[in-house]
Amino acid sequence: MARVVVLGGGVSGHTAATFAAEWLGSAHEVVVVTPNSKWNWIPSNIWVGVGGMSKEDVTFDLAPVYAKAGITYKQAKAVSINPEGSETSDKPFVTISYTLAGREGESENVEYDYLINATGPKLNFGATPGLGDANGLGEFTVSVCTADHAVHANEEFQKCIEKMKKGERQKFLIGTGHGLCTCQGAAFEYIFNIEHELNKAGVRDMADLKWISNESFLGDFGVGGLHMKSMGFAVSSKIFAESLFTERNVDWIIGAHVNKVEKGKVHYELLDGSMGEEEFDFSMLIPPFAGVGLKAYAKDGSDITSTVFAPNGFMKVDANYAAGSYDNWKASDWPKTYQNPTYDNLFACGIAFAPPHPISKPMSSPNGTPIGPTPPRTGMPSGIIGKAVAHSICDRILKGKDAPLHEASMAHMGAACVASAGKGIFDGTAAAMTIYPVVPDFEKYPGTGRDVDYTFGEIGLAGHWIKHILHHLFLWKAKLKPGWTMIPE
Amino acid sequence: MIREIVTYPTPPSVEYATDVRVFDEEIFSLIEDIKETIKANSLEALAAFQVGSYYNIVVVKKDDGSFLELINPRIISQSGKVTTIEKTAYFPELSAKVTRYEAIGLVYQDRDGAQHSLRADGDLSILLQRKIDYTFGSSFFNKLDKEEKKLFQKKLEYGSDIAISQSCPTVFKRDYIVKVINALLVVMAALLIGSLFTEKSTSGQLFNYQSYLFLASVGLNIIYIFYAQYEGKRFTSCTSCQIGNIIGTAAILLIKLSVVMLLSYFIM
Repeated sequence: MARVVVLGGGVSGHTAATFAAEWLGSAHEVVVVTPNSKWNWIPSNIWVGVGGMSKEDVTFDLAPVYAKAGITYKQAKAVSINPEGSETSDKPFVTISYTLAGREGESENVEYDYLINATGPKLNFGATPGLGDANGLGEFTVSVCTADHAVHANEEFQKCIEKMKKGERQKFLIGTGHGLCTCQGAAFEYIFNIEHELNKAGVRDMADLKWISNESFLGDFGVGGLHMKSMGFAVSSKIFAESLFTERNVDWIIGAHVNKVEKGKVHYELLDGSMGEEEFDFSMLIPPFAGVGLKAYAKDGSDITSTVFAPNGFMKVDANYAAGSYDNWKASDWPKTYQNPTYDNLFACGIAFAPPHPISKPMSSPNGTPIGPTPPRTGMPSGIIGKAVAHSICDRILKGKDAPLHEASMAHMGAACVASAGKGIFDGTAAAMTIYPVVPDFEKYPGTGRDVDYTFGEIGLAGHWIKHILHHLFLWKAKLKPGWTMIPE
Repeated sequence: MIREIVTYPTPPSVEYATDVRVFDEEIFSLIEDIKETIKANSLEALAAFQVGSYYNIVVVKKDDGSFLELINPRIISQSGKVTTIEKTAYFPELSAKVTRYEAIGLVYQDRDGAQHSLRADGDLSILLQRKIDYTFGSSFFNKLDKEEKKLFQKKLEYGSDIAISQSCPTVFKRDYIVKVINALLVVMAALLIGSLFTEKSTSGQLFNYQSYLFLASVGLNIIYIFYAQYEGKRFTSCTSCQIGNIIGTAAILLIKLSVVMLLSYFIM
């Protein structure tokens, strides 16, 4: 009997674990190690952050779902990996530390045959002074990265609405809290949902909304922008985004590295090296992501973290990490199987794998500060990658050690993104976008690097309906309700 | 090499706006071509897209005759708003009222790939914003407000700026001619009714007046047809089918006149 251990129960890890359990059946064991007791459909957190949904709407308890699927669930966080085993045993294992109430801090070594690292990101609030520290979110800004953060964000937001109703003008600053953030899409959704809710509350005229981001142009979204083909012509997401921001009267600061947050004020550096300040009454700034800080040890106990992990803490996989400068970047640099090059029973998926380089053009200020989005590995691609990794491992268990691995390169993968710009059955809006491939392939598609026939976007009410339907659909799938395997990632 | 400038209605390419990644001879020769095209057409600036290339390059001719080469330009700061009338080589002979930022800050790369920054205001700021629109697959069309966009669509349809008025008048001068003809018709009808109560000789004299009035009305109707057409051409943005209206109005007037004149002929 083989044991597959999945570290992390987010979109990617949960997909990998549930499919692995489905395909392997009861003959083999699937273990999920995640510090959380609840599963969170993160894309809907932005609605929790404006009071459109409750925490219960976007989360559910993992234990009953894993019990139903026959998955061994350990509510704990992974601390280290021993891919070669210990001095007394050749069996590789992972050391975990329980977070389960009543067993906090208890340590255990979990042996594995195959390990999937889907630990997601560490929300690195400590990277920007004032944004937070090693313990997490600071006191000056809010976040929508977790359901609890989103609940807190909504409490602060409602306070602002009350102030505006009393005639006090409020300034909202939403965006990225560091020069190397990803996930601009979440902040984009949040600012427009705020705008929508302010309108609904009848206090829009009392609010100034401003966007601050590390993108070098509005609409970059961490994928170097996209070209939307619509009604016979194609237009850049920059033009699309600028139109939307102008239409909704949202101002923007672009190419900015937020380097310090104080009470009611952020300090930032722009791509041209100039420094600026921006005041706020309410601010949601996405933190940069880092690896969760897993360590790796060799058989003799020596530290091999740098062999298994990249310096940013994400796990090395079959990517070309020596691609060099921007002009040398190729689609083939991106990983296909997500297998660790040193240990072939070690895989990483979702945000946990180390990307070879950004997708957007790398830029830095004359002061040497890198300012540019890091590549997104969330949403649809992370689900697809999780499933492909699970498939590879199941094949190796069921068909033999030489079974070919399944591939899911982001350079061969399309992605659909539905970005909410306001929630409401009749007055909601969302921008529905598809992009193919996620990572531009300049050799195959000279010019933009993408196939414009499969890259398009549209904004409107139908987009919101799709977003809302997807919310229920993916929760249905994650809860493993009837027909869940047929719902795509 | 002087290149042909892409103009409307050739749609924006779907392969534009890719950042320059490799700074090689292909790029340098493209920049030289853009410069020659600017000189040959006496332009202020061109984006690479305007000569059919998808690279993110803008070349601006400075006042002293030298050129500013901007590779991969990005606007990263902006302040103030200003509305001016703009022209661009993509829409030859046409202009539109566009609202832009008064001052901008941008970063760009030179031929060696080194990054620079630039602050621009006044005409240069507007020019750069217009050119950078092209590098992202757009033109000033997408920057127009709703009213201006409608008007500009008309300009595109007629291929001209001049014959377009921003608003459609509610009263045309030609309507005054119709009013005069109608007044004459009333007089003619009054004469016709009056003739019923007069002697035969007076009635014959009244018929003479009736004939003069008829000829004057027909003459005015002819003037109306020509003047109305002239006026219609001045307001091409008005959507109603003006030619149809003019012919219809003239025909109705002529029928009315003919009926009155025929009755007058037999009664008077």
